[in-house]
Amino acid sequence: MIYFAQYVCSGILLGLLYSMVALGLTVVYRSGRIINLAQGELVIVGGFLIWWFIVMTPLPQWWMGIIIAFALMGLLGLVIERAFFRPLIGQPIFSLVMMTIGLLLLLRGVVIATFGAKERPFPQIFSAEPVVLGPFSFDSALFWGGIIALLIVLALAWFFERTKYGLRFSAVAEDHQVAQSMGISVKQSVAVAWVLATILGGFASIVFFNGKIVTFLASEIGFRALPVALLAGLESVRGVLVAGIIVGIGEMLAMGYLNPITNGGMANIFPYIVMIVVVLFKPQGLYGWRVIERV
Amino acid sequence: MLVVELMLKLDNVEVKYLDAVLALKGVSLEVADGAVFAVLGGNGAGKTTLLKSISGILHTDEGEVTSGGIYFDDYRLDKLPPEDIVKLGIVQVMEGRRVLEHLGTEQNLLAGAHLRSDRAGVKRDLEKVYNYFPKLKALKRQSAGYLSGGEQQMLVVGRALIARPKIMLLDEPSLGLAPLIAREIFDVFKRLNEEESITILLVEQNVNAALSIARYGYVLETGRVVLKGTSSELLINEDVKEFYLGLSLSGKRRSYHDVKHYKRRKRWLG
Repeated sequence: MIYFAQYVCSGILLGLLYSMVALGLTVVYRSGRIINLAQGELVIVGGFLIWWFIVMTPLPQWWMGIIIAFALMGLLGLVIERAFFRPLIGQPIFSLVMMTIGLLLLLRGVVIATFGAKERPFPQIFSAEPVVLGPFSFDSALFWGGIIALLIVLALAWFFERTKYGLRFSAVAEDHQVAQSMGISVKQSVAVAWVLATILGGFASIVFFNGKIVTFLASEIGFRALPVALLAGLESVRGVLVAGIIVGIGEMLAMGYLNPITNGGMANIFPYIVMIVVVLFKPQGLYGWRVIERV
Repeated sequence: MLVVELMLKLDNVEVKYLDAVLALKGVSLEVADGAVFAVLGGNGAGKTTLLKSISGILHTDEGEVTSGGIYFDDYRLDKLPPEDIVKLGIVQVMEGRRVLEHLGTEQNLLAGAHLRSDRAGVKRDLEKVYNYFPKLKALKRQSAGYLSGGEQQMLVVGRALIARPKIMLLDEPSLGLAPLIAREIFDVFKRLNEEESITILLVEQNVNAALSIARYGYVLETGRVVLKGTSSELLINEDVKEFYLGLSLSGKRRSYHDVKHYKRRKRWLG
């Protein structure tokens, strides 16, 4: 029983990490109906930048490196929007998705060309000591990262739903032309969405790589977050919390109980099973926008 | 004829879609401060294009003002992006009740006020909208997508009102509404014009309803202004009567079927 509880708690933390990555997908999707398959690459780029500025440059404080890396990530978001997606405004969804695949390969190539294909040790930003709560112990990066993720998601949900600036983004998510007729700059909203996505990628990279090895292979997290965003419903900001926790717990339980009898691997494919089930049976997800048909 | 100050002026405006389809062929039109102006015309006359060219959302439809100019006070609108045009106080209510379906009624209204920074003023104007459209108050928390057609039309007008426009561009507000509801909404337009001194440029196919509240009207056909005049002039114009009101010379209602063939095919001379 104690194992079960430990799996569930770890699953929640893992799920919160997924939520943070999935939120990047959601924000970009809301702005322009783009399913960004390169979100995992953004996490990797964030990881390499942070590693570079903390380990390789003589900055006096580690947090300065993080700030510079985040600024560069934001800049990257602006560049991505301006160079790759603004020219595609009005093009079919297919072109947009193909462009994200192009972006994925391009970012991967740039990372390898810039930092080399070697694996890099990521600095220990959260302590290596596990956080112990009662009978449970948690990886400290996942623990604090989970709390950060929780705060970020709730803050963004509040922002989108309750503030006047956030309402602009919701209007853009609904209908670009209506948003424009209300005096909302759609281009600006899309640009902000990309900046948010890259910054979220940066946050996720800190939590994900803390004390581990940075390698571009880890970009799979972008794909693992896809089922979370789909389960939440691609428009739902708050929903990624619930969906992330469901997928995270499921994955940890699969790791604990199914992996031993399936020679491992069950945990790895669990999110994708969720994805297939969601697309087949509930394509709008748990909290996504249903198409409203009045009769 | 009009002694009031000119506000919005279209000078020989030509609009092309995709560099190929000529939708407006040199439209000149003037909107004076403080009145209701009607733009009438059949399908494909270019009425919606006209409004979109003023509000600047034309380019999302791949349209472009290719010659002529649109002037508002000292600004040249055809060079500005839509968000700047809204800031100048020109708000378009698009055809087809385009509410933000998944947001609540009140959220829709608040989204309309996103450019304003005076919280208290927004709150007052929210009450004002509920005052003009009492039905909306009861539906505050309802998803806008589930409102009835009339309520949605009220909502989009309210959403424009709360942005405190100087000019409201209304695109076929009576489309698909029951006559009574349309009547109710047109009465509100009249009140908005009188009480809030909002200038209204109203595009309509419902000629009677439009001219009943408008002071001045333009008739548009295949991208040209073919007729203009005060509402009373237009209402007694034989061609308007025959083509838009379905009345014969003697003023009696008459079936379109009986109109002689050559007359049926009559077009306005540009």
